[in-house]
Amino acid sequence: MQTAADDLRRRTLSQMPGALERLIYLASTRDYNNGLYYHDGLASRFSEIVACQALADCHREVFHELFECSLEDLVRQLDFYVESTRTAPGDLIAAWRNLEPYRVAVPAATDPLASDFLCSNIKIALAVWESRLDARLPRKPDAWLPR
Amino acid sequence: MIGLILSLFVGVGLLAILVLLARRGNPRVEGSAQQLVEARQTLDMVQLGLLPRDLVERIFATQDLEYVTRVAPAEVQRAFLRERKRIAIAWVERLRGSFVKLMRLHRAQARVYPQLSLRKEIGLGINFVALLATCGALQVAFRLRGPYAAPRMLETATAAAARVCMISEESLAFLKTEPLRPLEDRARGSEAV
Repeated sequence: MQTAADDLRRRTLSQMPGALERLIYLASTRDYNNGLYYHDGLASRFSEIVACQALADCHREVFHELFECSLEDLVRQLDFYVESTRTAPGDLIAAWRNLEPYRVAVPAATDPLASDFLCSNIKIALAVWESRLDARLPRKPDAWLPR
Repeated sequence: MIGLILSLFVGVGLLAILVLLARRGNPRVEGSAQQLVEARQTLDMVQLGLLPRDLVERIFATQDLEYVTRVAPAEVQRAFLRERKRIAIAWVERLRGSFVKLMRLHRAQARVYPQLSLRKEIGLGINFVALLATCGALQVAFRLRGPYAAPRMLETATAAAARVCMISEESLAFLKTEPLRPLEDRARGSEAV
């Protein structure tokens, strides 16, 4: 089990510099219909069950890492994330505000208070990040930032 | 005829009473195993879910407030304080709720289990009351003045909560069974005797 988790950390997660990116990635490997994690590469090297357990362990670990981040770190994580997804910042802000995808990125059996705290922090980090973008970019009449 | 109708009414009435009694479910027995398990679970939830130092430190971290005050506009600062206040209130409400539950379970057990020491139970009772009062005061402080209003009171509450957990843990210690040892160890132990 530990070997599978190490393999996942070494081969896949190490390519993602930010914990937020890792959280979203790991959550995306989970099937929302049954709560199980799937990863073809990992399953072929180990087994489906071991891969699932390794993904779940890493998911919890990354959640904890993000939970411990200060707000300043979280804003930095957002920077990394936007850079890695190559999404237009305005689109990301609009989508994250409306859909709040980070709410479903929480590992199963997480304490509701801890999960609520992280989601609240991400929401504030998003607002800080947006205000910094506003300050950095000169606003034009057709600027992309949604209001 | 009238007798038959009366008998029918009585029969239906009795049936209704039976259905009502059946729907009430199993009454909880004081000091039952279920209550003991609930006490254990509540205690674990408080110790692992609400009292860990990192959780409390993160919720009430002033470095986040300093950061937001330094870099964010006024509306984001207000949103931040609103969010933290909400979380702080949720935290203290859950803490208070868990201890109210734990207190009820302890009270029920204290009447049934002679293993519980009276002195410990009285100490626990006093600590429970002090803790609930502090939690109540914290709730009011958070509502009126925000999450950073009463850092000393917060420290007092977490210290009192940890103390209650410790005494409660000792009170419930008789529930803990010795962990199972492998068969070989046991065999070796009996040989030694």
